[in-house]
Amino acid sequence: MNEPPKEPVKYVQSHVYLPYHYVAGDYRARYLRALKDKKILGSKCSRTGKVFVPPLLNSPESFAPATEFVEVADKGVITTFCIVNIPVIGRDLQIPYVAASVALDGAALSIFALILEVQPEAVRMGMRVEAVWKPDGERHGDHEDIMYFRPTGEPDEPMESFIRRL
Amino acid sequence: MSKLRNVAVVGFAQAPIVACDEHHTAQEMLYPQVRRALADCGVERDAIDYQVAGSADYIDGRPFGFVAALDVMGSWPPRQDLHLEMDAAFAAYYAWLRMQAGDCDSAMVVGYGKVSEGSPEHVLNLQLEPYYLAAIGLDVKSTAALQASAYMARSGATDDDLAEIAAHNRAAGARNPDAQVRQAATAEELRRTPWAVQPLRTGYLPPVGESAVCLILAAEGKAEKLCSQPVWIHGLDQRAEMQALGGRDLSRSASTALAAQKALAMAGLSRADEVDLLELSAATPAEEMIVREAMGLDAKGSTRPAINPSGGPLTGHPILMTGLIRLGEVFRQLSGGAGAHAVAGARRGIAHASQGHCLQHNLVFVLGRERRWS
Repeated sequence: MNEPPKEPVKYVQSHVYLPYHYVAGDYRARYLRALKDKKILGSKCSRTGKVFVPPLLNSPESFAPATEFVEVADKGVITTFCIVNIPVIGRDLQIPYVAASVALDGAALSIFALILEVQPEAVRMGMRVEAVWKPDGERHGDHEDIMYFRPTGEPDEPMESFIRRL
Repeated sequence: MSKLRNVAVVGFAQAPIVACDEHHTAQEMLYPQVRRALADCGVERDAIDYQVAGSADYIDGRPFGFVAALDVMGSWPPRQDLHLEMDAAFAAYYAWLRMQAGDCDSAMVVGYGKVSEGSPEHVLNLQLEPYYLAAIGLDVKSTAALQASAYMARSGATDDDLAEIAAHNRAAGARNPDAQVRQAATAEELRRTPWAVQPLRTGYLPPVGESAVCLILAAEGKAEKLCSQPVWIHGLDQRAEMQALGGRDLSRSASTALAAQKALAMAGLSRADEVDLLELSAATPAEEMIVREAMGLDAKGSTRPAINPSGGPLTGHPILMTGLIRLGEVFRQLSGGAGAHAVAGARRGIAHASQGHCLQHNLVFVLGRERRWS
């Protein structure tokens, strides 16, 4: 223990441990709680009426508060997407899979979503998709409550309808 | 000195400091303050040219949290933006520099962060030199105690002196509605509190607290339109010294002394007691005595100039906002908005901000009701 090291010290390893306590905040807490009841909530800009999902406390565009909470549909349109060919540590997904931006009906912003039950090559911008929820009694009010989205089979939407909601 | 632009503080809004806000994120705490500060100036967000934030994602553990804050700062139409992992008072210094360079005429400076979501003693340990100091687990309280011990040994200051300073701050904080600790306490009561880290008692240390702060700066020509009594920056200077605690005289603050001397000279003053009040970012009574001494003031006692009329950091010390709140407090005092803790007839003041362990980096603002340069 007290002998001098035979080799010069080349590096020192030190571990950093930073514990955190997550506060969802007023808006995110309401959003997460509603997922348990298969409801997706957005907040409505008091000036422009645009609905943000997940809810934002103010419109970044108009700067007005978004105080009213409204429910949006659990289906929408793929606005843009990519095909993932590298595995993500901690995610047990078979590659390739599709990660997409989905603008839910009634929402001015899109959310990120996993798209399954379709061949990656068949996914298109404008494709209609719907949420696949965890069964009743298994939802906890977190993002995993929506397992993924899948095509509805409805006709595609034209790009003009979603180009401002990417 | 070449010609400088007159720049003033024209607006300030602060969320009352609390130990823990379980219901709001840092951004949710900040948005109302941005709106209040703008409303007080009677302008919309597009009147602001430049914005700069002081915060650290290590505080609440949200990666890229400073980007999320842009939405609540009203960053549209797009404007120049900067983010500092420092006390937001240093962000105000940056904004002042940008105005001197002629890049902008107005700026928003915000500070936010929620220590209740993280672990400040762990985060602040990481500011230390990593191989010898951080590794032995020193946190900001223990380094402050090392400094207090060095100061007491040199100056002969006693536990009673520390208790008197703490009691003075506590009495002042009781009149400040934004302070976190609003119960006055006598020196005797504080001297009976248990040791935190000797020679510092729990009664001599600030509570852990969080807030959100927004301050608006504007240059001459614009400042008068935004505020009926702008508070002008007459002088400012910042100095940093070495990180190694063993390499400097911890019983003194050489960087505060030099920054104060330069800032006062820029303001056309020679002594710190020519102002009416000082707000000091001293997190312990020993730090306050060291900072007072470095500024050439009586280390204890003295009723004029007034020191920490807001109660100072001992009654509310939100990490990375404490210095900006000092600047905001001097603005309140000199613009007539200090309410119950107002210093009567105050015309000039000093705001001091500090960053790092044991007063490593210090910033001094000298402010006044009149414009400095014609």
